[in-house]
Amino acid sequence: MRPSQSARQSVPRADVVVIGAGLAGLSCAAELAEAGASVFVAAKGLATTHWTHGGLDVAAPAAARTSRDGIARLARTDGHPYSRLARDADAAVSRHLVRVGAAGLDHAGSLATALAPFPTAIGALRRAAIVPLAQAAALEPWRVTGLVLVGIRGFPDAWPEYAARNLENAAWPDGPSGIRAVEVAVPGVERLRNVGSQDLARLFDDPAWRGRALAAIAAALPPGDWRVGMPAVLGVEHHAAAHADAEAAFGRRVFEVPSLPPSVPGMRLFDALRRRILASAGRVQIGFDVVSVEREGRHVIAIHTEAASRTLRLAANAFVLATGGIAGAGIRALPDGGLVERVFGLPVVGPEQASWFSDDPLMPHPLEAAGIEVDEQLAPAGLENVRVIGSALAGMRYLDERCGDGVALASAHRAARSLGAPRAVAA
Amino acid sequence: MSARAEVDVVVVGGGATGAGALRDLAMRGLRALLVERGDFTSGTSGRYHGLLHSGARYVESDPVSARHCAEENAVLRHIAPATIEPTGGYFVATPDDPDDYLDRFPAACVAAGIEVESMPLDDLFRAEPLLSREIRAAYRVPDASLEPWELVDANLASAREYGADAWRYHEVIGFERSSGGAVVAVRVRDLHGGDQRTVACRAVVSAAGAWAGKVAALAGAQLEMRPGKGSMLILNRRLTTAVVNRLAPPGDGDILVPVHTVCILGTTDITVPDPDDVHVTRDEVEALLADGERLVPGISGARVLRAYAGSRPLYDAGELDRTAGHDESREISRAHHVIDHGDRDGVDGMWSIVGGKLTTYRLMARDVVDAVAAALGVDAPCRTADEPLPAPATGTPYWLGDRLAAHEAEGGGNAELVCECELVTRRRLEHALDERGDSTLDDLRRTTRLGMGPCQGAFCTPRAAALIDARRPGAANAPMRGFLAERYRGTRPIAWGDQLAELWLTAGIYRGTLAVHALRDAALAVGEAERAAS
Repeated sequence: MRPSQSARQSVPRADVVVIGAGLAGLSCAAELAEAGASVFVAAKGLATTHWTHGGLDVAAPAAARTSRDGIARLARTDGHPYSRLARDADAAVSRHLVRVGAAGLDHAGSLATALAPFPTAIGALRRAAIVPLAQAAALEPWRVTGLVLVGIRGFPDAWPEYAARNLENAAWPDGPSGIRAVEVAVPGVERLRNVGSQDLARLFDDPAWRGRALAAIAAALPPGDWRVGMPAVLGVEHHAAAHADAEAAFGRRVFEVPSLPPSVPGMRLFDALRRRILASAGRVQIGFDVVSVEREGRHVIAIHTEAASRTLRLAANAFVLATGGIAGAGIRALPDGGLVERVFGLPVVGPEQASWFSDDPLMPHPLEAAGIEVDEQLAPAGLENVRVIGSALAGMRYLDERCGDGVALASAHRAARSLGAPRAVAA
Repeated sequence: MSARAEVDVVVVGGGATGAGALRDLAMRGLRALLVERGDFTSGTSGRYHGLLHSGARYVESDPVSARHCAEENAVLRHIAPATIEPTGGYFVATPDDPDDYLDRFPAACVAAGIEVESMPLDDLFRAEPLLSREIRAAYRVPDASLEPWELVDANLASAREYGADAWRYHEVIGFERSSGGAVVAVRVRDLHGGDQRTVACRAVVSAAGAWAGKVAALAGAQLEMRPGKGSMLILNRRLTTAVVNRLAPPGDGDILVPVHTVCILGTTDITVPDPDDVHVTRDEVEALLADGERLVPGISGARVLRAYAGSRPLYDAGELDRTAGHDESREISRAHHVIDHGDRDGVDGMWSIVGGKLTTYRLMARDVVDAVAAALGVDAPCRTADEPLPAPATGTPYWLGDRLAAHEAEGGGNAELVCECELVTRRRLEHALDERGDSTLDDLRRTTRLGMGPCQGAFCTPRAAALIDARRPGAANAPMRGFLAERYRGTRPIAWGDQLAELWLTAGIYRGTLAVHALRDAALAVGEAERAAS
């Protein structure tokens, strides 16, 4: 059924329309655009990039030594996305790191890097290997170096004393020689109302303010061999300069400790990918919710999105579904236990409602593995020119296995190749 | 070691009735102490739908209770106006509700002393546009929304002004009795410190509600309670401005109460063996929403923040009949009853107050204190209906605007917000911790509304935990886990749609970014170090 032509606009037909602007959708769009395809990214809203820590969780199931080892372990799990995508992971991750590096967001680590404990904002340890440079110093060998955690007065989401106390009790092999906490009054912050991570990050973008703030923090640091854990607010746009300035002002290695959303490291990742897409003549539109789909048999012809009181028809040769899982609202759970994929109405596989949850909120829930089943080309049943990527895929427990970013990149890469993106030259 | 204290009367139970009894005893010049095994208002009083009854709910089924509610409604508006939001209420007849009930309703209200006014449907739908257009009749009654935490706090504050004391987290573990069988002391355990204390007394008032049977048993008395679990849903906004009731005999999803920024859909009624069993089942959620559809079509698609349940203090009327020689068991089934365990069980000096509604807490307190005072030879009259309760510090607690104004006043809005949903500032929490240094996060919630908004504690939990850790180094992780578990208990039965997405994003914060599950506490670390050393 085709909606009437009135009250709606058409944009020029694209080669590929990507629905969703998380890590999976943006990296798939970037790869296609870099290869010369015309790409339009339409997303209902910002994705979970803005909620997460900004590091790259490729694969860190229990007992894995490296991300590559983790991928191999997960690939042996029946129905896990890596059982299909493992061979794409190497190329996908290295291309991604080159791509965002070209947009000024450099990373440390690779699939071969040993997974190491990363101190969290509350003072627990989680395992990481590939992180943006601003987080890299946390994973370097500590030897005789101590860790000083910094809080900024008025900023509610850094808890350096609490974190330090917890880290002292943590089982941190070869960790810091000592842990301390300081809270610093930074000039200008007291004028803000309810200081959030974004507000501070924008202040840190300003070189003059940054200089004053870093001087105030430097004055509060203890003398000696310390590495400095800062709230993850060292600039959004000029983050590389802000991090370099911090290390220069403190005379010490500095790393950021991600905390509650909104995630500034996630914003940098989003910005870097978007810049790469725009540089390759792709388009990215946020606030474009898909309201209907035009189909002809096993082909999707166009989608209709609604934004700013008009309906837009987006026609393309192929469509990539990167709307995320339940957290990203690509899959919606109904009160009666039904699971619905929101754009194409694809069938969702998942556990029976009675066993959706575990009793402990901090343990994995069976429902986390719900998602869409696809074939080798990542096409869902019944739709030939659609590819499903990222957290919408069935079979993973991304929090427990710490594999969501790797699956996003590997599936994006597989989808881009299957839709005809040639082997793009690395930027 | 067991410290010893001495008072005239020990009150067991820190809900509305216990706090009201403590105040009444103190105002009559008796030395009184209240003990509560949890936080104040953490039992049934803190787990109800927030309704100040007009009495109209019970005009047919329970005329005694209806009259009590009508009288106490007026009394509470006089003594505790700040705890009441005068929303007004409607009784509305849907096509499913019986004609004969509708016909009898207005006269029954008048007979019970309840102001009732027929409401033209045009006016009703103008005032409450989301109500079902199938509603065929409506009456206006003086229902209202009542804030239980403030009410209990005000009673305790007043009681303290009159020289009484109240201990929370003190559980009754036994009673000492004289050779003649009279209760002469209460043994309690401090659940935080672990110490046991003995409080000598001349009388005991058990206001333990649904737990009264357990307390009576400790004294060797018998009291068969029939706890009725009532489950409710919190919807993320006010769907109506006034309380809305079905014009029918009490059923499941038959009442909607606007409370603070949300509204509450209630209430199921299931007899449970254990009053501590307050988990909400999926079936109850479905039943509530299905019935709620009759009042507000589409309510099933609204965002549900949380499900919770309380235990009604219902007692076995048949047994009372037998032992107290009462012959109106049906009529008194929801009204309260004072039980003299001296008469009944040979346990002199002990009274239980059972049944009743939160709306009638003061009357219940008066009746039991009348009995105690007479036995102790005190003839001072009850004055709790006349003397207003102390007013809360911030004008009208139910109105978020007051908290916003206070927030703006603190450093021109520059005060750190710990809980954005409910506008709880760092200073407010610091103040609460100053007053009660051993507070858990759930205690702070009851005091400040921390974590009661749409995100259900996702953001404020670690912030508040850090404040606790600063005061009690190393003691914050357990309360944080406990709070997360408690918030999850209420989210899980309604986890679908937006609220499930919220739960998943929250899991991403706690398990993904913060790795709270991997936190190690000092005790664990010390234990491992000791094992390694040995």
